[in-house]
Amino acid sequence: MNLEVEIAGIKLKNPVIAASGTFGFGREYSKLIDISEFGAICTKGITLKKRIGNPQPRLCEVYAGIINSVGLENPGVEAFVNEELPFLKGLDTKIIANINGFTKEEFVELTKILTSLVDMIEVNLSCPNVKEGGMVFGKDPKKVYEITKSVRNVASCPIIVKLTPNVTDITQLAVAAENAGADAISLINTVSAMAIDIETRKPLIKMVTGGLSGPAIKPIAVRMVYECFKKVRIPIIGMGGIMNYKDAIEFFIAGATAIQIGTVNFINPKAVCEIKEGIEAYLERKGFNSIKELVGNINI
Amino acid sequence: MKLLDVEIEENVKIANDIFLLSFESEYLAENFKPGNFVNILIDKESIYPLLRRPFSISFVEGKRVYIGYKVVGKGTKLLSQKSKGEVIDILGPLGNSFLTDTFDGKVAVIGGGVGIFPLLVLCKELKNRGNKVDVFLGFRDLNSMFLVEGFKDICDNTLIATDDGSRGYKGSVVELFKANVSNEEYKVVFCCGPKPMLKAIKNLNLPVKCYASLEEKMACGIGACLCCSIKGKDDKMYHVCSDGPVFDIMEVEIE
Repeated sequence: MNLEVEIAGIKLKNPVIAASGTFGFGREYSKLIDISEFGAICTKGITLKKRIGNPQPRLCEVYAGIINSVGLENPGVEAFVNEELPFLKGLDTKIIANINGFTKEEFVELTKILTSLVDMIEVNLSCPNVKEGGMVFGKDPKKVYEITKSVRNVASCPIIVKLTPNVTDITQLAVAAENAGADAISLINTVSAMAIDIETRKPLIKMVTGGLSGPAIKPIAVRMVYECFKKVRIPIIGMGGIMNYKDAIEFFIAGATAIQIGTVNFINPKAVCEIKEGIEAYLERKGFNSIKELVGNINI
Repeated sequence: MKLLDVEIEENVKIANDIFLLSFESEYLAENFKPGNFVNILIDKESIYPLLRRPFSISFVEGKRVYIGYKVVGKGTKLLSQKSKGEVIDILGPLGNSFLTDTFDGKVAVIGGGVGIFPLLVLCKELKNRGNKVDVFLGFRDLNSMFLVEGFKDICDNTLIATDDGSRGYKGSVVELFKANVSNEEYKVVFCCGPKPMLKAIKNLNLPVKCYASLEEKMACGIGACLCCSIKGKDDKMYHVCSDGPVFDIMEVEIE
């Protein structure tokens, strides 16, 4: 069975990608599983300068999901290039660098540094856990267009724009990214959320709100992939609460060319293998010859 | 570390809301060090609780590994309802160890509440290395006490504090330690317990090295999610799961 997919000329041996923020820089999981099993690895979000992130508590669990507010803790682009990238380059998988700027210029600067060093860049216009940049940019189609265009102008590698679900109409952002020259879009980032301890009446996250991930957001994500698939021609990378192969298949049917898995990595580090096997068995059972035949193949 | 399916041997209540779970695992028994923890997936099909839960390894007898825990929420409640023969998915051993050096002399070990669990095997190891070990244990009351006999068998002195004075010193374990430390010359101090207890120990500004096992909410347990980050000196970030859980108490912020 052919699980190979192509995004802007880059061939991934399979459509399962490790989602940014859930896989560090790959090193951690390499002690547990063969991380070359992934079609690609999307790195922890990188900023120009080192960031220490948000105060504790950064995590709480809610029904069918988790809320986090890590706040882009990362060692900065220089340390990423010198200390983390050599390890990632040694793996038999594609590397997607997830970049985060607090101004348009920072996105451009990060792109210039990374464009020849990685296979693709994921422009994160959707982080809900920072006060500037991130989702603040990503909610405004004009800003999405502007930043995407600026990044496109200096990128020699394909660029993916990661979108936020915390808007009325995500398709406006998808269209803006496509019009500005994005090679692909990825959706959805986490959903803005909040949980309160009723005994202390304190929010369970220090920053009060955070980003919800996990099974709770999957139906929202599938709907958004479906809506964007009808509006754009560039590939869509779908994510949000994928826990098993059945969840993954839903995303392909809704219109995703590839998928990212995140929260499930924390719970079941072997999920990538199980999801790949499940996809393969499903395609065989249903008489498909390749994963491409399934993309957007929905019966309404 | 490895992902392991283990069969529960025993899961018994040993004090108020406190349980001791055991299973056989040659791999864990051979590879764990005092201070290590494991991440337990309580129910593979469950979406609430969703994440694995971290628990310290309390002690090991042959191939049998013992994990102590307190029922505090849905995850630990479900775990407490598991019985002999049920299989649980464990990731471990995780984290660093209390012991990086050999200490030749007298050592103080301080534990409060469920923070006592990882200290029994530490005391055993300290004794094996030829140290004299005084352990200070803090409990809420008589009904919340556990493992005391185990410590008495191992340690040179086992001192108890209870909040209500129903056993031993009435008051906090840090006060009990403070009253004692003035007469003793400890080479090193190890501690594990609730944050206010660790903060109080840090504030003692002990003239010797003090190592504390910390706890934070974590998702992955291996340093990938960065949810359990804490600040160290000069804004250096540490991850409780992978850089810890044991830290030099003066090197990290305890909020």
